[in-house]
Amino acid sequence: GVASALYFPRKEYLENVYIDEPAGMPLLRIHALKDSEEEVAHFHLCQNLIISRTRSHEKSWFQIKEKTGLLYLSKSLDREDFNVPSVGNGMTLSKVILYVFLSSHPFQEKECDSATHTTVSLSLINATTPACSSLTARQLCFTEMDLSFHIKENKPPGTFHQLQLPSVHHLCQNLSISYKLLAAEGLPFRYNENTTSVRVTQRLDREERERYELIAKCTVREGFREMHVEVPFLVNVLDEDDSPPFLPNGIDTVDAVVEFSRKEGTVLAALAVYDADTTPIYPLESSRKKYTGTIVTDDPWISETFRVEHVFDEIHFSPNGSRVRGTRHEYKLVLNKTISVTEHRSFQLDILVNDTEYPGPERLVMLHFNVSILPVNIQFSNMTYQFTVNRNAERFAQIGKICIENCMKFRGVNITYKLLSPNVSCYPVAILQGREGKYGSLYVNDSSVLRRPECKEIQYTVQATDKQSRKHTKTLLTVVLDGTLLKNEEGCPDSCARSKHRAECEECGGLGVLTGRCQWRQGSGKGITTNYSTCTPSIKTCPDGICDVVESRDPAVCPQDCTSGNVIGGHGKGIGNLGIKSGHGICYCFPRQNCYCEKDDIKEQLCDDMCKTVI
Amino acid sequence: PPGPVGQDPRGWRVPVDCVRANELCAGEPSCSSRYRTLRQCLAGRDRNTMLANKECQAALEVLQESPLYDCRCKRGMKKELQCLQIYWSIHLGLTEGEEFYEASPYEPVTSRLSDIFRLASIFSGMEPAATTSKSNHCLDAAKACNLNDNCKRLRSGYISTCSRELSAAEPCSRRKCHKALRQFFDRVPGEFTFRLLFCSCKDQACAERRRQTIVPSCSYEDKEKPNCLDLRSACRMDHLCRSRLADFHTNCQATFQSLTSCPGDNYQACLGSYAGLIGFDMTPNYVDASTTSITISPWCSCKGSGNMEEECEKFLRDFTENPCLRNAIQAFGNGTDVNVAP
Repeated sequence: GVASALYFPRKEYLENVYIDEPAGMPLLRIHALKDSEEEVAHFHLCQNLIISRTRSHEKSWFQIKEKTGLLYLSKSLDREDFNVPSVGNGMTLSKVILYVFLSSHPFQEKECDSATHTTVSLSLINATTPACSSLTARQLCFTEMDLSFHIKENKPPGTFHQLQLPSVHHLCQNLSISYKLLAAEGLPFRYNENTTSVRVTQRLDREERERYELIAKCTVREGFREMHVEVPFLVNVLDEDDSPPFLPNGIDTVDAVVEFSRKEGTVLAALAVYDADTTPIYPLESSRKKYTGTIVTDDPWISETFRVEHVFDEIHFSPNGSRVRGTRHEYKLVLNKTISVTEHRSFQLDILVNDTEYPGPERLVMLHFNVSILPVNIQFSNMTYQFTVNRNAERFAQIGKICIENCMKFRGVNITYKLLSPNVSCYPVAILQGREGKYGSLYVNDSSVLRRPECKEIQYTVQATDKQSRKHTKTLLTVVLDGTLLKNEEGCPDSCARSKHRAECEECGGLGVLTGRCQWRQGSGKGITTNYSTCTPSIKTCPDGICDVVESRDPAVCPQDCTSGNVIGGHGKGIGNLGIKSGHGICYCFPRQNCYCEKDDIKEQLCDDMCKTVI
Repeated sequence: PPGPVGQDPRGWRVPVDCVRANELCAGEPSCSSRYRTLRQCLAGRDRNTMLANKECQAALEVLQESPLYDCRCKRGMKKELQCLQIYWSIHLGLTEGEEFYEASPYEPVTSRLSDIFRLASIFSGMEPAATTSKSNHCLDAAKACNLNDNCKRLRSGYISTCSRELSAAEPCSRRKCHKALRQFFDRVPGEFTFRLLFCSCKDQACAERRRQTIVPSCSYEDKEKPNCLDLRSACRMDHLCRSRLADFHTNCQATFQSLTSCPGDNYQACLGSYAGLIGFDMTPNYVDASTTSITISPWCSCKGSGNMEEECEKFLRDFTENPCLRNAIQAFGNGTDVNVAP
């Protein structure tokens, strides 16, 4: 193809252009570096691609020497040419953007679309060329463009910059301006005093060193006066894929066990692959395509059940003391679907990693995962449940949790708990599914049954069923009714949360209470705290910052965890704007309406002397 | 007789806003048909393929002579988004779309910081430069905002939106928070917003309050720091974000050509375009509560830049090590402005 492997050591060049500068005035020198020794660079301005912020009529204002890359004015610019809309401060009238193209053979216009290019940004200054004597040493020595270059690794040496400014050299010939390159000892760069050009003297290796920081020093002599300016001169080495992947510590095998976590998306195990080359995270998709990881299998079940997730991260290597960027690739084996509790098998699964752009067979690495899928037993541990329930408990009182073996470790296993009706008429309790189908919450469903003397000890059978496999298990549950019936206080509210004072709280009952009486939580914190004072059916479950399944059945049970209404007073809302996470003083609620958080220290003050005078 | 629309007495074009320019173009059959052609050319095609098409190129050339070519938009104007869409529909064809710095589609800011100081002192009833060692300027700024109905309403609006926790996994709705912040910075005058954003601090509590101004836990921080070039390309997908970023680059890009390092020594323009970035992907903020050094950054890093590291660092440095931005913030804090002869 025509694609040239020549390249520019800079993406962008900057320079100023003044009114009345003569035709032929040199503006700046552009360099190209080579891919192979025999290449010759040809520079070209593509006319049809000169687009600027002004108009397109300056097409013929600039030209470039094809061989040397010297950009110059082809016509003297006068005030008429500058008659363009003023933008900004009035100093810089406009910018002209030129694209300089590069080819390894004499240029043909049709290549304009495909060839490599660099951008030249010329600021048109609404003033005549400043006199040499009015320029500062900084302006005589360097442009505003920072001296920062990039050189590709593994490419032949060559000249990539000229320190002398062509326009200054052209205009201020009576000044002596000389340059030096400091801190270059032992580095692969040479400065040529005659041409003021800088050259890279050997092929560079990014994996050895990726940044060179030198200093360009300029000396201006004017009679006996001598001025010095120093600016940083930076060279970045560009990376190419010249390192194969390797395994850190040689580890290529890992165990992957599927047991209690069986949900789609579970990460089972991961293996890392290192590479001394960099991998850009932008654009992400193209890097993923360049560095692939695929499951090697003919088994459709395996390819349906597992997937590979590839993430990568920049890490650093330090060859001979300098810091060099590299990449850590991580390949995660992930469940692509939820696995049934009955599934039982083990096998080795291989992932083939391919650094696709590395030339050579070492681009391939095989990773091994010893996969064991263990079945999960749906069974209650060797026990029967026994709960004692106070006869004074109210509806939605939480009695306890029912849970099969290991239930809290489950992910992706959905268990339904059910009470099988006993053969008696006493039936005070019910079960609600806990979150994520892990456990069941046993609660009082019919408090009138608790009060009936004939109901004393009730036997239930609890059944737990796995939703997916329909496997089920049973155990016995005994509910013992206990305690003597308390007399109901007159005028008590239905919800504990309504009580604002400890006394009224503790003498009343309310929805969800376990023993017939609400419980008072005495906060200790100052200001707005999660430990606020409040009246609750059970300190264990309310307020705990979670609106659980039982509480959410009725807003009067625990509005402190479940309210979605207004909270008046100093407070912080809970997750999802539900409940009171933190409050100031005492928080109390009118279910289905507002909650209030306030300090209860407003005591009747005696009228002091000050107050008497006011009255 | 009055000259043609869009020309001043010297015969120079005066930028009209793009919505108006669009109306003018729609009135001319040749302009409107070329404009329609260009929009079709740009839809889903890159610039080089577009320019290879003779019809597209011709449309572009004709439009360069129309009022659409020089049109600009105003910050917070009516139909701002529509205006910017018109602007970019022409300018994406003109520039490469990959330029490091893009020209701002907004009209140049002509007002000065001194205007703000003058107004601020009227509002607060005190000298802006009055500094006692005890005073907390950021607290004063919050008080001043609370005394103004509009500022108070929009400030409490964004604060409550940005601090509303949705779920354990999602601490807030970033989208809504950004929208509320944009409303605040677009609709509340700089006298209030600048004082909140750029107050000067002598102790850490003050600097922390300054850092917290935009509720960074929601509007700024994220679980992971993306690559800055990735963030920039996300911003450039959105006309508003792209415009605000271009405006920041136009007004805050450090230069040797001025005393203050700011283009045209215009601090107000730089601070205004900084505030204009808040509420977008490129939202900048103070990185810490340091009182001695001010470091600003968007939420991104140059990790994983590969061969584009130089470009990424250059982009990031325009926030983190920008003498124009730093001088402008300090000048605002000190209540000083450069006196520029008109």
